[in-house]
Amino acid sequence: MSRLLSVENLTISFRTDEGTITPVQDVTFAVDKGRTLGLVGESGSGKSVSTKALMRLLPRTASLGADTKMHYTAKDGQVMRIETLSDRSREIRALRGGEMGMIFQEPMASFSPVYTIGNQIIEAIRLHRPMSKREARAFAIDMLDKVGISNAGARIDQYAHELSGGMRQRAMIAVALSAGPALLIADEPTTALDVTIQAQVLDLMRDLQRELGMGMIFITHDLGVIAQVADDVAVMYLGSIVERGPARDVIRAPKHPYTQGLLAALPSLDTLSKRLTPIPGEIPSPNARPSGCPFHTRCAQKIAGLCDRKIPREVVPEPGRAVRCWLYDENGRAVA
Amino acid sequence: MSDDLSASNTLLEVNNLSVHFPVTKRRLFGSDTQMLRAVDDVSFVIHRGETVGLVGESGSGKTTVGRAMLRAIDPTSGEVLFNTAAPDAAQSQVAVHTLSGTALRQFRPRMSLVFQDPYSSLNPRMTVRDIIAEPLVASGLMKDRAQIDARVRDIAARCKLNLEHLRRFPHAFSGGQRQRICIARALVSKPEFVVCDESVSALDVSIQAEIVNLLRDLQDEMGVSFLFIAHDLSVVAQISHRVAVMYVGKFVEYAPTEKLFFSPRHPYTHALLSAIPLADPDANFAPIRLKGEIPNPLTAPSGCRFHTRCPFAKDRCSTDVPEWREVAAEHFTACHFAEEFDFSRPNGNASEIPA
Ligand SMILES: Nc1ncnc2c1ncn2[C@@H]1O[C@H](COP(=O)(O)OP(=O)(O)OP(=O)(O)O)[C@@H](O)[C@H]1O
Ligand SMILES: Nc1ncnc2c1ncn2[C@@H]1O[C@H](COP(=O)(O)OP(=O)(O)O)[C@@H](O)[C@H]1O
Ligand code: SF4
Ligand code: SF4
Ligand SMILES: [Mg+2]
Ligand SMILES: [Mg+2]
Repeated sequence: MSRLLSVENLTISFRTDEGTITPVQDVTFAVDKGRTLGLVGESGSGKSVSTKALMRLLPRTASLGADTKMHYTAKDGQVMRIETLSDRSREIRALRGGEMGMIFQEPMASFSPVYTIGNQIIEAIRLHRPMSKREARAFAIDMLDKVGISNAGARIDQYAHELSGGMRQRAMIAVALSAGPALLIADEPTTALDVTIQAQVLDLMRDLQRELGMGMIFITHDLGVIAQVADDVAVMYLGSIVERGPARDVIRAPKHPYTQGLLAALPSLDTLSKRLTPIPGEIPSPNARPSGCPFHTRCAQKIAGLCDRKIPREVVPEPGRAVRCWLYDENGRAVA
Repeated sequence: MSDDLSASNTLLEVNNLSVHFPVTKRRLFGSDTQMLRAVDDVSFVIHRGETVGLVGESGSGKTTVGRAMLRAIDPTSGEVLFNTAAPDAAQSQVAVHTLSGTALRQFRPRMSLVFQDPYSSLNPRMTVRDIIAEPLVASGLMKDRAQIDARVRDIAARCKLNLEHLRRFPHAFSGGQRQRICIARALVSKPEFVVCDESVSALDVSIQAEIVNLLRDLQDEMGVSFLFIAHDLSVVAQISHRVAVMYVGKFVEYAPTEKLFFSPRHPYTHALLSAIPLADPDANFAPIRLKGEIPNPLTAPSGCRFHTRCPFAKDRCSTDVPEWREVAAEHFTACHFAEEFDFSRPNGNASEIPA
């Protein structure tokens, strides 16, 4: 398996009126070719800003930590050090779209209302592929067809508002894919959709990924979606990745108390009318990040005097897995 | 909910409810008006102290059913009969669809709505106390300030709100707390019927679990009935005693939760259930692929409205409207072939709904 992207110690700060906040701290993860990394966490945990950092799409008030490394292996084998590129450099613009495609949560916001979707797809194609207008149009129709839009030859001349939510989301995927990215970043691509449409889009993304061998980062707060699409998962809480590993293993046997809490809070079809089990307490605000382990204010297993003082380091309980919690020793074994 | 399903236990009877909206399209010369049948001939019953889940895809008419029952909009036709148990009520059965003027205003406190979006539904310039008290004041149910204060404090405490926060403004609160404020406001008049329209959909799972637990506790304490509208089927399965499924303005199935989820009779319900991604990596996620898109209610398909996408459709489905009927005890559906379909799924260790 070859590595496509490796992110180490990603730290993001924003200057705000109330001082500096650091909503992402020391985040480390990797994506391999042909694999899907699911990034899961409650709202505000830093999922979107992390992936915007990868594309250098953060606002000017943001800054990256000094140890931040984001290394991307381009199609030609060259390793790009994204953290060193400037937001408007030629290199980063070539990466956006052509190497890394992005799908946003709200597809309406990603389409211009004044151009037909065809115009916009054709433009995206020609930016990254040497094609004539006519060739690009044929290619665009082909892409729309691939994402399951029936009658693509007519739909291509419609405007985004004339399409249903599900069609728009699929057209958005067509735009992202038409530039031929090696890595696709999808930020809550199905959250706004109905379940049947969500199922169509998930199905489609699984198929296309298999066919095209892309790497994918799939952001969601839905562990059900993670279980169905991700090979690996990283669980974020207040800007830190608290646990990561193969999706199947993490969901079957979560190691971190937060992951355990998230799974326990899910309503399940196996236990109708049971009382649900929320995680106690509330998520702290990003400008009042707790000291030590960020989860200690809500953790039933916290070790007083340790968890509230020292930030836990990431340890490896099994090959391929990692957890940040004082319940595990240097070697990743549970401290009894 | 008690096992007694007799008429005396019936809170609401909805008979042949329809809501049509006029939609005007501009033409080259003049304009023409079409009727959008958002809700078409819907009948069902809600028992006292029961939660009825209402699911269906966007635009299927869920919100419109709820709003028509509350008389936030006027039904085009059909009946909404409300068997009130309020001690001060003049009669026990109120025909909500016929009320108007003062009678409607005085009846309003018997029912209420919890909004979808806890972020935008609270007036930022009102204190939490005034927000919660508003339904009492607006309906004229209570006039005495001390009496209102006492009621607000009682309901805020039941909703596990910090009483010191009553003097604050809503912007300072998190999503979960705001939703508690919305719920307190909806329950302050001690209504017998509350519509929760996507009330937990925007919340993170942990907060969602808290709110679902709270709604159940309040139901146990106060005996209120809920119409719980949501597109997340797993949440609906947890909170509802019975569940109704809507498709393009019509109910297609209505049954006790366990029957609906584990032995549905309608092909659309079956497809909807197959599309839920379960948080179980070993579950086989093989959603039924429906052809085409959800029809526009302006041009709803003839016959069975699902026939354009139904994998089981036969000739008569495009011409004959399937009858809404009870195919098994308490199990209603509208499909020509419901008696022949068996979509039963293994139901894990699902427990019976507690009596
Ligand atoms: N005031 C109105 N005028 C015209 N059409 C309306 C009006 N209100 C609702 N509709 C239409 O009625 C249909 C049902 O709408 P409704 O809001 O009840 O759907 P819903 O099931 O609640 O959907 P969602 O899941 O998106 O909230 C839709 O086609 C909608 O566009
Ligand atoms: N431009 C910005 N300025 C200041 N804070 C921001 C900015 N963008 C995001 N944040 C903060 O960063 C945190 C993480 O946000 P986000 O990545 O959007 O969360 P998620 O996608 O996980 O819901 C939040 O607390 C948010 O308020
Ligand atoms: S480090 Fe301590 S507080 Fe944090 S999750 Fe582990 S046990 Fe809980
Ligand atoms: S009536 Fe026909 S089209 Fe409608 S659900 Fe039944 S089989 Fe399908
Ligand atoms: Mg986000
Ligand atoms: Mg609605």
